[in-house]
Amino acid sequence: MLQVEGLHAGYGDSIVVHDVSLRIEAGEAVAIIGSNGAGKTTLLRAICGLLPVVSGHVTYDGNTLERIPPHRIARLGMAYVPAERRLFPAMSVTENLELGAYPKRPDSRLSALVFELFPRLADRRTQHAGTLSGGEQQMLAVGRALMSEPKLLLLDEPTTGLAPMLAEEAYASLKRLRGSGTTVLVAEQQVPLALDLADRGYVIEDGRIQLEGTADDLRDNPDVRQAYLGLSDQGAG
Amino acid sequence: MAVIFDGIAYGLQLGLLAVGLTLIYGLGGVLNLAHGQFAVVTAIAATVLVDVGLPMPLAILAAIALAGMLALAFDASLMRPVYRLRGEARVLLSLLLTIGAAFVIDGLLIYYYPFAALNVDISGSAVNVLGVAMRRGSLAASLLAVLALGTLILFLRYTRRGKAVRSVIQDEEGAQLCGINPARVRTAVFVLSGVLAGVAAVAEGLTSSLGATDGLDLTILALIVTVVGGLGSVAGALVAGLLLGIVYTLSSFYIGAYVTFIILLLAAMLTILVRPSGLMGKGA
Repeated sequence: MLQVEGLHAGYGDSIVVHDVSLRIEAGEAVAIIGSNGAGKTTLLRAICGLLPVVSGHVTYDGNTLERIPPHRIARLGMAYVPAERRLFPAMSVTENLELGAYPKRPDSRLSALVFELFPRLADRRTQHAGTLSGGEQQMLAVGRALMSEPKLLLLDEPTTGLAPMLAEEAYASLKRLRGSGTTVLVAEQQVPLALDLADRGYVIEDGRIQLEGTADDLRDNPDVRQAYLGLSDQGAG
Repeated sequence: MAVIFDGIAYGLQLGLLAVGLTLIYGLGGVLNLAHGQFAVVTAIAATVLVDVGLPMPLAILAAIALAGMLALAFDASLMRPVYRLRGEARVLLSLLLTIGAAFVIDGLLIYYYPFAALNVDISGSAVNVLGVAMRRGSLAASLLAVLALGTLILFLRYTRRGKAVRSVIQDEEGAQLCGINPARVRTAVFVLSGVLAGVAAVAEGLTSSLGATDGLDLTILALIVTVVGGLGSVAGALVAGLLLGIVYTLSSFYIGAYVTFIILLLAAMLTILVRPSGLMGKGA
């Protein structure tokens, strides 16, 4: 569904992401894990057109994406939920969801699905997005993305700014979403949560892919355990 | 009471004049210093068309369409390099280019049509509104402003395209992620602002007259209203327009016409001192 080959991307003259290749098949959930500043956000922003691709190729669903502006990539069925959420603060929950369906009329079946997934949003329909709590804003950002009935959902650090309990709650909803067959690519530094959700994962450091494998492989990998799971290899369970 | 009514009538016109300017600023962070010239072009075009024999209503419609086309031409030419820049550089370049264009338009109009002025005359006796005698022209201008502003507000609030416009104002990147093309929204709103300036010209023509030299005055009035209301806020432009309109007529009635402009500026300064980002500006 999505194939990235030899991607270089960055800001102006400084290249942040070097020679990254990855692929996602339809129905998969894939995690990109790495510490803060490893290049996860740059990679996702380049994929969805918000940053220029310096070199390399991004192919999605039969389309070459490198030169396509972000709004057209969104209309191809790729929905990106950035860590900053990018909601419309002075518009209601309902209006934010409506705009997620743009240019189409919002589908009541989809909004019902969103409210089922996030019942808290249903109670806050008329409230402005800017007045929601961090957790609710995250729900709304995912909900807005779902309103376009995306084929591929890209999530950048969905746990940003959330307390541990809310972070777990967020991932529980993502798991339910996965159950309905949505293809998901999630960038995350909270590695246990991400690997719990994903089938496969890539480890990115200093803008390069260092490691890839199934979620189980990565969880058992000594380097991953030490660097991201806070465990040494001896005697830890 | 009559003074207040006149103030409201004038305030509605000010709001109508400012609303296009504030929308463009909200969308792209640019200021169009040729905004008043769009109104003047409409006025002159309408008088020229009436002179060649077109009936007034038709001439007005054609002239407003012309203002929209002029705005489209602005967007496709002058605004291109502006939108390639970001932040302060963008505002500055927009100021320079549009004031240059304003001078060119002024020069051409004053050279070719020095005496043309739009004067939409609906003669007849005064109309009684809540016990106050209102001039027909003033009443018609108010109705026109209410109609135009009302349509605009309903459009922005309740239609999908209107919500798309607001989404770009509130978070451009968020809008892109929803499949909205900010460049196209900006073009559409630039044309809309040209049309609104054209409608404002008609309102001006209904109450007094509008000629080739009035462009800069209109731009300055629109800027004052926009800044007092809060750059980028449509509701702010309307409220500020009403406030300043009432201040203007009150001071010209009780103090005298010669100081009204000074008092208007003082009122604007005071508002901005108390609320630096305007009555309804972001972060106020």
